[in-house]
Amino acid sequence: MTASFFDFIAAVAVALLTRRPPLLASLEESYRIGVKSLPILLVISTFAGTNLAVQGHDAFAPLGGQHLVGMFVALAGVREMAPLLVAAMVAAKAGTEMASQIAVMRIRQQIDALEVMAIDPHWLLVVPRLLGIVLVLPALTMISIFVFLAAAWAVAVAQLGLNGHAFLALATDVTEPKDLLACAIKALCFGVVICVASCFHGFSSRPGPDGVGRATNAAVVTSAVLCAAVNYVLSELLYG
Amino acid sequence: MEPLIALGRFGLFSAAVWWRIVTPRWEVQETLRQTWGVSIRCLLPVAATVFPFGMVMSLQGLQIFDLFGAQRLLSSLVSVAVFRELSPVMATALVAAQGGSSFAAELGAMRIKEEIDATTVMAIDPIRVHVVPRVIAALVATPVLGLIGSASGIAGGYVTAVWLKGEPAGTWWANLWALTQLSDVLGGAVKCLVFGAIIGFVSCYNGYNASGGAAGVGRAVNDTVVTATTSAVVANYFLTTVLFGSVG
Repeated sequence: MTASFFDFIAAVAVALLTRRPPLLASLEESYRIGVKSLPILLVISTFAGTNLAVQGHDAFAPLGGQHLVGMFVALAGVREMAPLLVAAMVAAKAGTEMASQIAVMRIRQQIDALEVMAIDPHWLLVVPRLLGIVLVLPALTMISIFVFLAAAWAVAVAQLGLNGHAFLALATDVTEPKDLLACAIKALCFGVVICVASCFHGFSSRPGPDGVGRATNAAVVTSAVLCAAVNYVLSELLYG
Repeated sequence: MEPLIALGRFGLFSAAVWWRIVTPRWEVQETLRQTWGVSIRCLLPVAATVFPFGMVMSLQGLQIFDLFGAQRLLSSLVSVAVFRELSPVMATALVAAQGGSSFAAELGAMRIKEEIDATTVMAIDPIRVHVVPRVIAALVATPVLGLIGSASGIAGGYVTAVWLKGEPAGTWWANLWALTQLSDVLGGAVKCLVFGAIIGFVSCYNGYNASGGAAGVGRAVNDTVVTATTSAVVANYFLTTVLFGSVG
């Protein structure tokens, strides 16, 4: 399993580096991934933001530090929550779709047909998805950060009765351009992880409807576990 | 109109499942088998995901507490965050991804292969035999996995704080329960219970109503993960407000 995983990565890397990248197909993929994932992403970011504001208020209020909620939300949201939320939702939406599409192609022997026609399936199927997700994930993360903070602000003002100006002042105080850059780097890495894991499970799907289901299942679990682990390493490197 | 119709179908399906949960006869053997199966399958993913989250909590928390010289509060922060938020939400995401999607895949494959129709023809109630055990399995397994995830998250925080960053271990254990109360642990478990119900109903609904061959099964699995995770995050906000939130 691991050996074939590394073979798969090597094949994708070779296809990516030695052939002209399919730019148009990549743009189409990024459009598809971005537009399909955006609605749920907005919902998730909104409610994660509101939730974090309530938790932060509950944690700081006993110490008399309600006004620190803005700082807490901005730090936790921008540095950790938003990139991971976006990664998790894109893994759940776009990643599972990649896995099930490719798995269906595998069990209908369309991938074998491509190989017979001397077309590298990694180049045709994986490279556009990889470039597409890498292109769109940082953008989605930025949108998510904005929605996240806006929702947290709304809850802080309307539900918790905090001062909105103080919230915004603290939030802008603690986030630096460097943090957003770090976010984008994280998003890039998560994109690569999600795409490679999902496409790999699609490629190695077993025949039949259960095979497709199982490949999709394994794709999202592998993506989530790998993203969580990669996140720690990246946090350590970027902020540690 | 389409989303409303789907919501109505989901409501009818849930009602049908609830009715069979509260009335005998119960498929005890099958329920135990499913519960055990889903717990074992999700155990490693849940533990492996919450562990690095605990590590990140420690890493970022330590930076902030360094500013105030309050490093001793680190373990209290990690344990509150893990019990209340991280572990329930992450365990749910992983149970949805691993357990829920496999429920959808199994039921979807049964539907596609006309096994569910065959069950009905034999005058055996497919919801009672196939759906109810899975819903109960999700209900039971999620809180248990949530608690295991909490333990794993706290272990992750410990690894970063004590082994990697050199904080004293005694301080870590002494302050672990300083801010965490039984209500936090129970609150996390209640959250998991609600999320488990969401996972069970959503995954079985999607799998039971799959159509369109192998691609349909893939779509059912996809929909399950997305819908269950999204609903859980939305529900999480309201649960947090009700369980822990001090309004006003």
